[in-house]
Amino acid sequence: MRKVLLVAVLIFAVATFFAQTPKRGGVLHDYFTTDRMTFDPQEDTTLQTYAMARLLFSTLVRYKGETLELEPELLAKMPEISEDGKVYTFELKKGIKFHDGKTELTSDDVKFTIERMLSPKGRGASKWLFEPILGAEEFMKGQSTSLEGFKKIDDYRFQIILKEPYAPFLYHLAVPGASIYSEKLVKAAGDNWRLNPVGTGPFRLKRHVPNTEIVFERNPYYFEQGLPYLDGIVFRIVPDSTTALMEFEAGTLDVVTIPVLEYERLKASGKYNIIEKEALNTYYFLMNMSDPKWSNPILRKTMAMAINKKELAEAVFGPRATVATSFVTPGIPGSYPLGQGPAYDYNPEEAKKLVAQLGNIGKVTAWQWGGDTLSQPNIIIQAMAKEVGIDLEIIPVESAAFRQARREGKIPANYGNWWADIPDPDNYIGVFFGENNQMSSGYNNKEVQEMIKKARVEVDPEKRAQMYREIEYKLIREDVAVIPLFHLKYLLATQKNVHGIIAHPTGITVYLYAYKE
Amino acid sequence: MVQYIVRRLLFSIPVVLGVTLITFILLNVVPGDPVLEMVGKYADPETIQQIREQLGLNDPLVVQYLRFLFNLLRGDLGRSFKTNLPVSKMIADTFPTTLKLALSSYLVAIALGVTTGIISAVKQYSFLDRFMMILALAGISAPVFWVAVVAQLIFGLKLGWFPISGYYSLKHMILPAIVLGTRFAALIARYTRSALLDVIRQDYIRTARAKGLTERRVIFVHALKNAMIPVVTILGMQLSGLLTGSILTETVFAIPGLGRLSVWALSQRDFPLVQGTVVFTAIVYILGNLIVDISYAFLNPRVRLK
Repeated sequence: MRKVLLVAVLIFAVATFFAQTPKRGGVLHDYFTTDRMTFDPQEDTTLQTYAMARLLFSTLVRYKGETLELEPELLAKMPEISEDGKVYTFELKKGIKFHDGKTELTSDDVKFTIERMLSPKGRGASKWLFEPILGAEEFMKGQSTSLEGFKKIDDYRFQIILKEPYAPFLYHLAVPGASIYSEKLVKAAGDNWRLNPVGTGPFRLKRHVPNTEIVFERNPYYFEQGLPYLDGIVFRIVPDSTTALMEFEAGTLDVVTIPVLEYERLKASGKYNIIEKEALNTYYFLMNMSDPKWSNPILRKTMAMAINKKELAEAVFGPRATVATSFVTPGIPGSYPLGQGPAYDYNPEEAKKLVAQLGNIGKVTAWQWGGDTLSQPNIIIQAMAKEVGIDLEIIPVESAAFRQARREGKIPANYGNWWADIPDPDNYIGVFFGENNQMSSGYNNKEVQEMIKKARVEVDPEKRAQMYREIEYKLIREDVAVIPLFHLKYLLATQKNVHGIIAHPTGITVYLYAYKE
Repeated sequence: MVQYIVRRLLFSIPVVLGVTLITFILLNVVPGDPVLEMVGKYADPETIQQIREQLGLNDPLVVQYLRFLFNLLRGDLGRSFKTNLPVSKMIADTFPTTLKLALSSYLVAIALGVTTGIISAVKQYSFLDRFMMILALAGISAPVFWVAVVAQLIFGLKLGWFPISGYYSLKHMILPAIVLGTRFAALIARYTRSALLDVIRQDYIRTARAKGLTERRVIFVHALKNAMIPVVTILGMQLSGLLTGSILTETVFAIPGLGRLSVWALSQRDFPLVQGTVVFTAIVYILGNLIVDISYAFLNPRVRLK
């Protein structure tokens, strides 16, 4: 009997092992809603280009699977960090080849990549990634021709020295915008680089038919044994989401982003794998603290108590949304746990009392990003404000104009969202409320802004996390500078035979471990 | 005739110039910096300035416009801000697709529209006539977007007769051509019907009938040719409309045509590409109308081109 049991267990173990062993081969069919017409993540920072950058290029470090933990990618091991938190020593894996199968990756390529991004003559759109490096400012202004904070030791080893300690720096290196290029190949491609990328990533570009399809094939020289599993990935350009869903249901697409209204139906059908993942984002209502009307803290507090977040989240995104009580997404070091943040709860009675205190303030204004009619969330927010006695006017503003006004700090208030690039509170708080922020928060509490500066350079992780929680409390509870509304889950559906796709919390889909049965 | 065509073409020059000027002014008046559309959410002011400088956006508007005109005269539409590819190449790559879609839906429109129009006119006030006209009215009123989705759902997803979207083979073209074509067919049907009804009441038709010609001959040889004049006007206008107005169809069916390119250009604030597609569309429009005017002369000798 025992033997039988043992054999049964063994068979089961073997069966599960084989069932979970990725199968090699096959082509995955996915889609994008638009063709970005570039493969250069230094220039284009959209999630789409970033997802493609994860196929084409590699970064020094990367996220381990679905987690927010970092692991070496092009590096032989995680870098050593000096005690003062300023000097990082790196060592590259040896023998990494670019897609041409000839060019080998060296320290010079890393230096070239960083300098290309920071170059005053280039189009580097994410200079912030490398800005903490010593001498970056001078280099960006064209005052120096070589980056002071980059020291090559030999072909595989180099050091990066920071201006001041900055704990999240390693996360910067995992952003696809920090993908490592080959000096030789970029120079050879010249102006054609953005459409002819050559990297060290698991796939290489096979064909790009503008606005039709982008085809990737397995990189035969990829440095990780046995990876990737797929022979190739085809991204069709399907601008309309209804069309994409029909293609998916017809079986011609393997992956689809689930439209909110279709979630229940797709899930209930049992025909597909559903990927649900918490992602690093916060949907918010931001009020410009320097605006003549919104500068009134009572008005901001009233607004915070007027919005029924649960109802709003459910109405707009159904099961995709989770109510937010903090601005920094839960799960990030230094964030409040889910549901325990300092945000005000929905309290219409209290809000009505506050409105009485406000007196006659007349109409208050918020802007909407794009469109010619009000979006559903804005309609709901407007109605909720009205219920407590705030006359909120919402003006749709064309996206490019909106973006420009936001930079200039001219937007009175707006419903918006923030998808973080790195899992660090500074990527929320510093970006929105630090000095010279470009998010039109008009935030002007100097004391808190000093605290933000200090938290940024704190080396002790525990202490740093505590500092951010304190800052966020002041931001949300005392100043009511922003109303966190909800966080959105990443929802994908795949065909049953598709496995291993990672919907990473940073919003980027990772295909490295994807396979088809 | 040649003289007429040359003169018409010469007259088109100020029109094209006007179009370029208006587009240029509009693009520069509408708020929104093209560079902000290109760079990421963190880009610093220095980077933005640098790129503006590289793209020549810091030059006075007059200089920018004159530079555009000068290049246009040499047949150079400039390079796309975003892709750095020549605008003319990007248009040349997408226009044939739009043209194919337009022509195939044109065929659908003519075949369906003229036939139903004739039947309706000949069987005026019959059940068939009423039914067809109601159908035509519905065809004109229904949004293209909706018709497209319904067609995809029925013929693509449920019946599997045609691909749902994409642009790979002739088969991929059928559904979009029918969707775009039936809309115009409805319009053509109504025009054909009323024009034919007008003509049928004319004296020369009565004469033809009195001569003992068959009804078929009366309709097809005598009536139809004259009834076609207003229809041709509509057809001509529709051709340009089909070329430029296929944006929705191209979006729903994921067809990489000129319509989608121009929307993309506009969303990216890619000035040279927007200018290029607008100028090109204007030229197509002018040529479309010229062809209509010339075809009048063939249809009706009474129309003299002077």
